[in-house]
Amino acid sequence: MSAPVLQVEGLTKTFGGLTAVDKVNFFLPGGGLHAIIGPNGAGKTTFFNLISGFLRSNSGSVIFNGENIIGRKPHEINRLGIARTLQVKSVFTGLSVYDNVWIAAMGGSRFLNPFKSARSYTSITTRVESLLEDMALTGFTEELAGNLSYGDVALLEIAIALATQPKLLLLDEPVSGMSPSETERTVNIIRGLSKRLDVILIEHDMEVVFGAADMITVMNQGAILCEGPPESIAKDPKVQEAYLGASGDEEEFSA
Amino acid sequence: MRTLLNLEPMHLLGLIGALFFLTAPFTIPLVANDFWVSIVAEIMIWGLFAASVNLLFGYTGLLSFGQAVYFGMGAYGVALGVDVFGLSFWPAALLGVVTATVTAFVTGIFAARLTWHYFAIITVVFSLIFFFIAVGWKDLTGGDDGLPFNMPPLFKAGDFELTLLNLTFQYYFILVVVAVCFVLMRVILKSPLGFAFVAVRENASRAGLVGYNPYMIRLVSFVFAGFFAGVAGVLFALFSRYVSAQFMFWTVSGEGVVWMIVGGSGTLFGPVLGAAFLTIIREELSIYWEHYLLVVGVIVILCVSYAPKGIMGLLNSCLDRGPKNSPKATSAISAAVADQKGDLK
Repeated sequence: MSAPVLQVEGLTKTFGGLTAVDKVNFFLPGGGLHAIIGPNGAGKTTFFNLISGFLRSNSGSVIFNGENIIGRKPHEINRLGIARTLQVKSVFTGLSVYDNVWIAAMGGSRFLNPFKSARSYTSITTRVESLLEDMALTGFTEELAGNLSYGDVALLEIAIALATQPKLLLLDEPVSGMSPSETERTVNIIRGLSKRLDVILIEHDMEVVFGAADMITVMNQGAILCEGPPESIAKDPKVQEAYLGASGDEEEFSA
Repeated sequence: MRTLLNLEPMHLLGLIGALFFLTAPFTIPLVANDFWVSIVAEIMIWGLFAASVNLLFGYTGLLSFGQAVYFGMGAYGVALGVDVFGLSFWPAALLGVVTATVTAFVTGIFAARLTWHYFAIITVVFSLIFFFIAVGWKDLTGGDDGLPFNMPPLFKAGDFELTLLNLTFQYYFILVVVAVCFVLMRVILKSPLGFAFVAVRENASRAGLVGYNPYMIRLVSFVFAGFFAGVAGVLFALFSRYVSAQFMFWTVSGEGVVWMIVGGSGTLFGPVLGAAFLTIIREELSIYWEHYLLVVGVIVILCVSYAPKGIMGLLNSCLDRGPKNSPKATSAISAAVADQKGDLK
């Protein structure tokens, strides 16, 4: 068996008195689509922020392809091969869709030649054009990213993440705010992607998660509750408890 | 084929502008007082200075109130080079540019860590530090009284001498240097580095997530801006044959910001338009009214409130409203690529 893609051990992050991520151990063997679900405030996004270098952890280690990436800056982590999208969609709103993807495709270069015209990078151009096609964005290449519909912004953000040629893709609620047909299309795209690279998906839409994921991790109150294939997670009483609450009065506090 | 007839209106205006600058020493005396030739030369220098502010704010998203530091370093570099070290023309000019660029690098190491108001504040602080050093170190800098210096010849062979004391030659010298700087700036802005500047301006955390180091990008932009401000400072010292600590005061930086905003931030030539417009207002109004700056203030307020892209933005939107104009491509690269493909056909 080959080494795991991502190995997280004892990862902890506290904000003042609140422990957002609590000694999380997470293991991604590689291959397939891995979903992370959990009620609001379970620490899913914080977990992504720790892996991608947005936040500094209090303790623990994150090994990506044999390298400890704790303490690295976001751009260094991206260059190692981890790309992510954000829960609040983050693109270059003042630039065209094409330039958005182009800038991302160029981001990995160690040296940005100030005297060479941007148009002369033909390999980048090819990559950008094929990505725009894959994401069904070819109709809007000249459109300002800020003018796109919410669903298209989400697709653009995935295209931006993919343009950096990642080995591991972290998607934070990619289909939130999408229409049912957009959701279906996006889920198909994500399914397709997970055959080529490792994908971890945070999602609230249970239909999407249970339909698409190969493996599901459930988080609650900063810790991992359980892990397994969709069928066993669906039956797990602990999961139902976490979502629906064990007793009435606890429910009121967790809202 | 591109001919004059199907040239885009903006390019046509650019062509007219270029013709004006190229022929000014001969055409201006036909219609106005000779001293306007010097004013146009001054406008070019201030236009370059404002463009350095624009490289930071318009393209990288950093509002600097400290560009006068590098302007002053360039000016003092050349003046002290001539006056103290006895250098000839080119080494002195080079000393000015290098001093400015190195100062920008050293201060940039600190400033580039910050953004927005924190960045603006630290640039004001740097400005004040360097200003007070220049004022205090009177033996070397002449302080507030300034330091006049003798202009060495640009080129000498036997009896033949080229010097900037010849006003027409001086004009063309400034024109060539400023034009080269603008070509260089355009090349940079169309390069991957230029796109990285814009990426950091638009969304620094996203830029980080796709592999750019926002700190490095800001620092590089800061150094380039310092370089351009330094060149402007060298030119201004040569132009006025004099330097003073006042060149470094933060109000000079503020003027650069005002010129950029009125002309149009984020556009290549907007800063030149702004510098031209406000310099002409100064020259015309200050004769009649000592409080002419009030007029400038009103113009700036109007610009910031109603024309955020300045004169250049107003021009663009006027021209876009023309009947025969199709909507403009917003993507610089894809437009360029499409252009290239069109050329191949």
